[in-house]
Amino acid sequence: MDNQNAFLNNIRRALSLPPEWQRSAREVPALFAAADTGPILQRLRSRTAAEMEQLSELLQKNAAALGITTHVVRSHEEAARVVVELVTSKQPEFSDTKQIIHHDHPDLAALQLWQHFAREAVTVHTTFGADRQLREKTIASFIGITAPAIGVADSATLVDLTGPGRPRSTSLVPSIHIALLDRKNLVADLAEAYALLREKKPPDSLVFITGPSKTADIEAQMVHGAHGPREVHIIVLSSSPAAAAAVETDNPPGN
Amino acid sequence: MSRTPPSAYRTAAAVGIASPRLQKSLRGIQDRFGKGAMALWAGLEDKELRHRVKAARLRTLEHLDIVLAELAENIRARGGRVHFAASGQDAIRYILEVATRNKVKRVVKGKSMTSMEIDIDPALAGAGIEVVETDLGEYIIQLAGDRPSHIIAPCIHLDRHQIGALFTEKLGIDSTDDPPTLTMAARRALREKMLDAEMGLTGCNLACAETGQISLVSNEGNIRMATTMPPVHVALMGMERVVATMDEHRQTLQLLTRGAALQKLSTYVSFLGGPAGTGDPDGPREFHLVILDNGRSRILADPEFREVLACIRCGACLNICPVYGKIGGHAYHSPYCGPIGAVVTPLLDGINKHADLCKGETLCGACKAICPVEIDLPRMLAGLRHKLAYGSDRWNTRQHSPAEACVFSLWRLLVTHGFLYRSLIRIGWLLQRPFVKKNKMIGTMAGIAGGWTADRDLPPLAGQTFATLWKKNYATRRPPAAVTGNEEGA
Amino acid sequence: MSGNTVSLFIQCLVDTMFPEAGTAMVTVFDRLGIPLAYPGGQTCCGQPAYNSGYRREAAAAARHFIEIFEDAETIVCPSGTCVHMVRHHYPELFADDPTMAERARAIGARTFEFTEYLVDVLGITDVRAEFPGTVTYHDSCHLSRGLGISRQPRLLLGEVRGLELLEMADSDTCCGFGGTFSVNYPEISTAMVDDKIANILATGAEAVVGCDISCLMNILGRLSRRGEKVRVLHIAQVLAGAKGERR
Repeated sequence: MDNQNAFLNNIRRALSLPPEWQRSAREVPALFAAADTGPILQRLRSRTAAEMEQLSELLQKNAAALGITTHVVRSHEEAARVVVELVTSKQPEFSDTKQIIHHDHPDLAALQLWQHFAREAVTVHTTFGADRQLREKTIASFIGITAPAIGVADSATLVDLTGPGRPRSTSLVPSIHIALLDRKNLVADLAEAYALLREKKPPDSLVFITGPSKTADIEAQMVHGAHGPREVHIIVLSSSPAAAAAVETDNPPGN
Repeated sequence: MSRTPPSAYRTAAAVGIASPRLQKSLRGIQDRFGKGAMALWAGLEDKELRHRVKAARLRTLEHLDIVLAELAENIRARGGRVHFAASGQDAIRYILEVATRNKVKRVVKGKSMTSMEIDIDPALAGAGIEVVETDLGEYIIQLAGDRPSHIIAPCIHLDRHQIGALFTEKLGIDSTDDPPTLTMAARRALREKMLDAEMGLTGCNLACAETGQISLVSNEGNIRMATTMPPVHVALMGMERVVATMDEHRQTLQLLTRGAALQKLSTYVSFLGGPAGTGDPDGPREFHLVILDNGRSRILADPEFREVLACIRCGACLNICPVYGKIGGHAYHSPYCGPIGAVVTPLLDGINKHADLCKGETLCGACKAICPVEIDLPRMLAGLRHKLAYGSDRWNTRQHSPAEACVFSLWRLLVTHGFLYRSLIRIGWLLQRPFVKKNKMIGTMAGIAGGWTADRDLPPLAGQTFATLWKKNYATRRPPAAVTGNEEGA
Repeated sequence: MSGNTVSLFIQCLVDTMFPEAGTAMVTVFDRLGIPLAYPGGQTCCGQPAYNSGYRREAAAAARHFIEIFEDAETIVCPSGTCVHMVRHHYPELFADDPTMAERARAIGARTFEFTEYLVDVLGITDVRAEFPGTVTYHDSCHLSRGLGISRQPRLLLGEVRGLELLEMADSDTCCGFGGTFSVNYPEISTAMVDDKIANILATGAEAVVGCDISCLMNILGRLSRRGEKVRVLHIAQVLAGAKGERR
């Protein structure tokens, strides 16, 4: 902490403040005064089904431009069929066996994926919190499936919040990332996404994902699949009527 | 015509200019990203966004003590550790301690210019630690033993054939110059490195004090790998790379990704505030944030240059600068190249040492026009030249060229004395006559002016200056016929 | 039309090397019936010193300029970079001297670039000029980015009888002059002006026109060395209906 004091004193000197004046955030409330996100939250929570449908269409359009495939489904069964089709048609990149891994999330459990692979040898892992082999299973999987807390239509962005049952690596290490996005979690733009995050306080780790991993470092030619997933699929699930979007985090209120 | 030997800047610039590969790449990147960014700014719906973010950046700088204290407190509340490093050596010492304590044998790096600024790689290597760059461009540069030449696209000076040959030699792959194949080869090689490393070392694009998080932006996913898979993550940030609130974060981020690559968002934006939480299934068990001064407080202290700390390192100014667009990044001899590098490098590393960066621009103003936060780099370049002209105690700078100072003293005498000025022009006209060629231009000149005539002709002084012509033809004439008022035409 | 007498500030390079640009400006003003004055003793605005960091010397030139032009109602200059210097840098140079700073601000407010004065102040776009031929226009840096003047010259050129304006690519990219830059870093400067020339030649225009002699001198110098036939003209020469080449 002495280090910190010396460092900050140096900054105070640079700003021509008396070094002994250890001013704090309370003394300059305007600095951390947050814009009122009430109207934004109210707006995004009062969207009609038709408006949510428009957002879904916007998401699909913007996703396509980024090389993301979207699939719109009306039930968990239909979503499961999309996943099965992808698992069947795609080949693993780094291993000889087909293993997939998905977040421990009610929407993903509802897909009952293990039932669909009776004939083909596909191992389905779930990222249960206490699993000590999670790392190995993730590395061995060629498809990772998450259920993002928020989808942003304007930029085709998925917001994955890290927490128990929701490791960071599921959307990163496997070659293909499938996101099952409940349509009610769709918001219009980044301002709305930030308002939602701010309301519930962001967890220690979260990520915005916008399209497949890519690089243009060699002669500016775009190549998908630099280090992360080379394919991203968004399955938009619109089974439930448009309802209030809610961010699920494990942070208790006021944390 | 004998001249002092060209400086390192001029020599490297000449190499860049002579490279067709580099010229093609620079043109491509400037045509696409420079023009693209200008078009984006022109079409921004929120016309005030850039002003607002600039104002917020400056406000944060004016309260940097508060904002950093808040950031540190909130990161510690998340279980992260924060180290304030006054100098590069201090940062290196701390990071080496963390590495030693964790018995680190390999560090995987996410692209970090700050880590290059403090030159940490040799220190890690000296401690027997393998250092692997994971950004594809940086990895190629590392394999080639080269230096990056663009903030966002580090290896634009290399072509696919060179990279193919390099991969065949270093990675043992079959000969190819196909970018997707080369990318896949790097993907495989680096995946193993990243899964096996004990430490990830990254920079920080933008920390948010309110939430106690850093954020990292990448398209490749290497930074996510480096911050997720190794048991220890160390992030190194320049002390100015922080915003106060989430709202500011969002607005700044939107300018950053647009300025850098015309993207609404980069592929990945990671927000990280601490090690894996108790219930978290993965992530590092230690998270360290090193906040670096290393000369920044001296910049902060000088109102003339404080503004440069508002930079968000998007690299847009490189994508429009006509000088960078010809010479490329190597000439700057710094991790920070282009217009931003020309200002920040002398301020961090010595104005005299980098005098060429202060003087080697035309002050054309394109960098200011494209900067998402409207930083007035030309004003600061002129300010740096001011320090060079007279020397500056504050900046430990000595007068750069007494000879040049002498020329301008003489110049002052002339421009403040009309008669002397006119007389000298007349003398010049007489003296130039032997040098005027048949095409009525001057083709060779001696001394400093020889720089001009190396590749250009110079129009000679006119036999009759405008002042002479005015006196002769206009001064005593009647006012023009079409005059509407009664005023005299002098 | 404004009855103000226009005091000419003839940029040092125009005065000594391109007087025909200055006399062309006089021709245009004469045609419009605008009374002119040419205050004697004028020299240089000080921009070369300022850009090289020699602010004390630049301030001396600025003081000289202010003294010479203090009584002028309106000052018009055939150079964007000089007007930029007067308007934007003079007040800075006297930051520690409120009286001088005020005098600098006042003089900056009545100093105009030639095309700016015609279009924005007088509201004239047609100066009854004739210029048969094709031209392309170079946007000089301090004029276009510094003063925001890029529309005005085009409006004026648009009204010239017989003239066809062929826009070049990247017309607002720096030509590589940069004052002492071109002498200290000739290789870089030449590479830049070659790009500019490539864009000029690509239009096929017979002449390149600009509002700043410094850029035009650079472009002309390189064109001449390369043996290119494109003519280089200050906009005043076009608006004066000038036929035939400079020199």
